[in-house]
Amino acid sequence: MKRLVLEGQVFVRSTYLQYVALFQWANPQGYVAYKVLLPVTQILFFVELGVYATGRQNALYFALGNALQLTANAGIFGVIATVANERQYGTLPILLASPANRLVTFLSRAFVNVIDGIATVVIGLAVVVVIFGLNLQHANLLLLALCVVVISLTTAGLGLMFGSIGLVMRDAIIIANIVYYLLLIVCGINFPVSRLPGAVQVLSFALPLTRGVQAARDAAAGASLGQVGGLLAGELLVGLSWALAGYLLFRLLENWARRGGLQEAY
Amino acid sequence: MRLRVISPWAYLNWLVFPVLFAAVGLYVLSTPGAASSHVVYGVLGGGLIGYWSVAYLDGGNGIQDERWNGTLEQIFATPTPLWVILLGKICGGLLFGLLAFLPTAAFAYFGFHAVLPALDAGRFVISLGVLTLSFFCIALTLTPLFALWRWAFSMLNGFELGVYVLCGFMFPVAILAPWAQGVAGVLGPTWAVRALYASTLSEGPHDYASWWLATIGLSLAYLAGAYFLYSLVERRARMSGQLAMV
Repeated sequence: MKRLVLEGQVFVRSTYLQYVALFQWANPQGYVAYKVLLPVTQILFFVELGVYATGRQNALYFALGNALQLTANAGIFGVIATVANERQYGTLPILLASPANRLVTFLSRAFVNVIDGIATVVIGLAVVVVIFGLNLQHANLLLLALCVVVISLTTAGLGLMFGSIGLVMRDAIIIANIVYYLLLIVCGINFPVSRLPGAVQVLSFALPLTRGVQAARDAAAGASLGQVGGLLAGELLVGLSWALAGYLLFRLLENWARRGGLQEAY
Repeated sequence: MRLRVISPWAYLNWLVFPVLFAAVGLYVLSTPGAASSHVVYGVLGGGLIGYWSVAYLDGGNGIQDERWNGTLEQIFATPTPLWVILLGKICGGLLFGLLAFLPTAAFAYFGFHAVLPALDAGRFVISLGVLTLSFFCIALTLTPLFALWRWAFSMLNGFELGVYVLCGFMFPVAILAPWAQGVAGVLGPTWAVRALYASTLSEGPHDYASWWLATIGLSLAYLAGAYFLYSLVERRARMSGQLAMV
């Protein structure tokens, strides 16, 4: 029991330090640029693209999909940056030398970013409501909120997986850029997954967002928890699998980085 | 150019990003029932996005890299004018950025069998040249701002997709709200991009001379603004003493 309390304290302290670190680099201008301006312009770009291709009547399909994909902004970029920044600031060797429980340290990297991801989606959805007139009168709002929380958790799971690569790779944030925009193609954000080639569809359903976004679209149309429960359970399972794989990779690469002295390479 | 060849960021901007955007664009624009002319925006759109990203991002990153490497103060102190140093960085970026059209065109052709249906090669090349001039002038104007204010780069980076919207990189500006079209009208690349797309389509207006002149006129106006901006930067940088702050 005492050990559990101690681990809990490490988690809280580590989470707080992640928060401090996150908002140390994300000064007000940086936060506005990447958490407000970027989400708003991303939604505008893809909605206008969709409107041009398919007509104004489909604007909400694109708006909702892109607003939900914004969770990846924090879940992928934010989580990968927590490891990449340790390297940049020269604190990675200290982290790896600390006796703290690795699983606790690992999971604490995602916590603040999950909350930040939810905040980003709220901004995105507000934009969609104000600019594109998303009608949520018939929506199951509680279920929609649950979908947002689940998607934020699962994208952070994927972020933990790729964040681990930051232990041995100098420019891990490049991976974040690629994964973030790849999700726009393969997760049914701007067009149905069924239009992708078969092999890519398999990848789609092995990634977070695909089921979560579908569940959120259904919730926005008024579906009940019973109707989308399977999708959300699948989404959680996928996110958990990525987080677990990420943890295993983290342990593997930690040893590799230590042996090769890679943690100090910048 | 040599720095870009070894930079993974440069490859991300000219090779990976353009293809990813082209993929989304081509899938969305080739939706069953969509007009065939729409696909042209998917073929060229990714390339335009990559070209723009390299042109201004690499210029901006070039300055940030100097700051992080501790060499920005030396650049300001050297007898060579700042704009001459930036000229080299920007020209290298433009040359590298042009490569962005290669992977996107190949992806469109092999992945979607998409081609440019009525390509007027002469006007296409001139439009691309005029577009290059406008990117050059914008990059030359913006880069000193990145040297002066660290947040300027973050802001423009955050607004990057807004530029895609206002310049009509992947869909015509005509579909935007009237106020947005007004803002787009004062951006030089908007007119050059319009000419570029017109040179690949047989339908629609083809008022090339007006569009080219609008781009050239606006680009020269940016350069005039840049003249005053460089004086300001030279003065402010020495007064504030913040060049070395990372």
